[in-house]
Amino acid sequence: MDLKLTEEERLIKGTAAQFVDRELIAREGAYLRQAEPFLPPGDPARRDLDPAVRAELVQRAGQVGLWILELPERFGGSGPSALARVLIHREFGRSVLPFKPVSIPEFMFETKYGQGLSDGTLSLALAFDEAHKTGGLGPLQTLYRQEPDGCILRDSSISVSNAKADMFLFPAREQGTERLGLFAIERDAPGLTVSDEVDLTTDGTVARLTLRQCKIPNEQLVGYEYEAGAAIATEQLNIAARCLGIAMRCLASSIEHARNRVTFGRRLAERQAIQWMLADLSIALRTATWQTIETAWRADQNVPYFDEAGLVKKRAAKMAFQAADTAIQIHGGYGVSKELPFEAFYRETRLMRLLFGREEELDRAVGERFLASV
Amino acid sequence: MEFRISSEEESLRKIVEEFVRDELVRLEAEFTHAPDIFEGSRWKSRVKTSQDPDIQRYLGIMLELEKKAEAKGLWRLDVPKEYGGAEIGNVAMIALTEELEKSSIPFELGNHVSNILYNCKGEQIDKYLWPCIRGEKTSAFGLSEPASGADPSMMQTTAAPDGDYFVINGTKMFPTFADVADFVQLFARLPGTTGREGVTCFIVDTGTPGYRVVRSIATIAGTEPCELVFEDCRVHKSQVLGEVGNGWALNQSWLGNRRFQVGIRAHGKARRVLRIVRDLLRYEAKDAEKFLGRIGYFLGELEALRLLTYLGAWKADQKLDVRAEAANVKLLGTELLHQVVDFALEVAGPAAMRKHHVLARVFRHARATRIVEGPSEIQRHIIQRALFRDGAASLELP
Repeated sequence: MDLKLTEEERLIKGTAAQFVDRELIAREGAYLRQAEPFLPPGDPARRDLDPAVRAELVQRAGQVGLWILELPERFGGSGPSALARVLIHREFGRSVLPFKPVSIPEFMFETKYGQGLSDGTLSLALAFDEAHKTGGLGPLQTLYRQEPDGCILRDSSISVSNAKADMFLFPAREQGTERLGLFAIERDAPGLTVSDEVDLTTDGTVARLTLRQCKIPNEQLVGYEYEAGAAIATEQLNIAARCLGIAMRCLASSIEHARNRVTFGRRLAERQAIQWMLADLSIALRTATWQTIETAWRADQNVPYFDEAGLVKKRAAKMAFQAADTAIQIHGGYGVSKELPFEAFYRETRLMRLLFGREEELDRAVGERFLASV
Repeated sequence: MEFRISSEEESLRKIVEEFVRDELVRLEAEFTHAPDIFEGSRWKSRVKTSQDPDIQRYLGIMLELEKKAEAKGLWRLDVPKEYGGAEIGNVAMIALTEELEKSSIPFELGNHVSNILYNCKGEQIDKYLWPCIRGEKTSAFGLSEPASGADPSMMQTTAAPDGDYFVINGTKMFPTFADVADFVQLFARLPGTTGREGVTCFIVDTGTPGYRVVRSIATIAGTEPCELVFEDCRVHKSQVLGEVGNGWALNQSWLGNRRFQVGIRAHGKARRVLRIVRDLLRYEAKDAEKFLGRIGYFLGELEALRLLTYLGAWKADQKLDVRAEAANVKLLGTELLHQVVDFALEVAGPAAMRKHHVLARVFRHARATRIVEGPSEIQRHIIQRALFRDGAASLELP
């Protein structure tokens, strides 16, 4: 057993940490500061990164290999391991700036879209709405039928969270065989519409993706059951890793604040109520960290890891939500203000707990496997 | 990064796996009716005291198992090489205990030597250390007192120097095995000192005039810790373990890396409890419907505990500071076991509260683990202290 990072992993982690500190956290003040001294009545406006800043960050992240993490070597990437990707997403989680590396399933680089995806002219979103319930793609509402001149997709309508994407990876089951197929569908494909984009409680949006009489060329059937499982497991690992970073930030800030803030003549750090919140959080963070790392290691060793990815997603997201909650509580009034990052973490982690497997569903799946085991 | 154990460790693990399969599992049905002392390690003490034929019969089985394990080379694995042991690391010991815990038979690999006895010097080595390693002598640990448990720096037992002797006066509470041990590792303070100053550790032989084990106390867990009284007990200065006035450090290093064993034992016990629940639910589809989610939740938490335990053991093997790691493992392990068995009782219903029911036994045993060797509150204190000392950086990857 050797739980030390290799030199290479340490280097990757250091590069990501430096980028996050210098490029993201340094910009947080400007991002979080509200424009007007007095807010108009009504909902606060959705925050987004200035497009010019985003473009600059994309370019700089790309230069140090932190933009498209799955980029294979033939497209100029280094094809980092699952463990390295976890280390990177963990660092990005520390900043509330809505900027993180994009995640593109590796098999997509084998398709005709490989070039576009790798040079950034094409963006891809997973239309895996149905995976958010169970953490898998079980029964799907969309069925397809393969014909010599293309696949016919049955009319359907689902939610997508990245409405601006140039193309969608869309799962459907083959009529009769129940085989799962993944379709790469371009945004302007006949029969596809994206509409009704609305704000989420996070700073993101959700929209409606509708298929009407959609026929997709056969070459755009790009993956099957395993590819879908791997894509979900990757998303789950990314979420878990990001949650670790969020919790690290919440914990570090809470410790710092508790050291300095005085109530009734004593520092918060001397109060047992505060100490125990943080002690419990640190255990949860430590276990989530090592479970995430072990699962990424399993992925790199070609040991089965899909079930484990669901478990670490669940535990890490729940832990990070608790971390944000604790940080808000310890920071008091500042904690709920939008000038500090914790309320945004709180909203974001609540959503992440709902993505790629609701907690009860994932627990139940583990219980069912256990019941069936000998 | 490598999460697998080495190939030598793996072959050792396989031997234990076979031992569990061939020797322990077949005894499980018989042990479901064993007396309470066969949960945990208390049974070892009864070798010397019990005349009960039932206990004697189970003891016979356990001693036979020990012989078999020794014959397979599974003995003195954590003893240093200079004392004839295999000196295998913490990670390997955890891996072996994980295998042993797959069976409910309370079998441990021995012989366990109180780690502070490696501070023996001169004649102490032949008189105490070697006999403990050979399994001929056993020891007790006298630290807690009637008015000081979690905070032993408040101890009131005194050791007054008198020529070549120390005169010891005071009362010690809860040393387990003191009623059958050959000696006690006793902590007392020099007169006039307070707090951690002046604390000194003595080896006091059973039968030394002035030293009496006045009673053993029945507990919920089936263990029977003792009350010890020292009245003008004269102990020669050659019986000081370590240095005079340096006993606090010995107290703190006691158990040492064996603390991680608590984690893997809680993990194994909790998994066994969940297997019992599973077997109950297998033919009760409606009940299964209600409880499967909770079972899945606990399995995930247990996986977290398992990993945390290996992490701590690995850090200990790297000679890193593992005080906070040990506290993490102790806290998470004992609290989780308690929650799992609490849940299991909920599924099994009142029938499982029968005294000899395996769940009832684990229920009683688990309660004590949240107290002994440092209650959960002390563990949280240790964790927060490290957190405020080292900051969030203490959670960084090695």
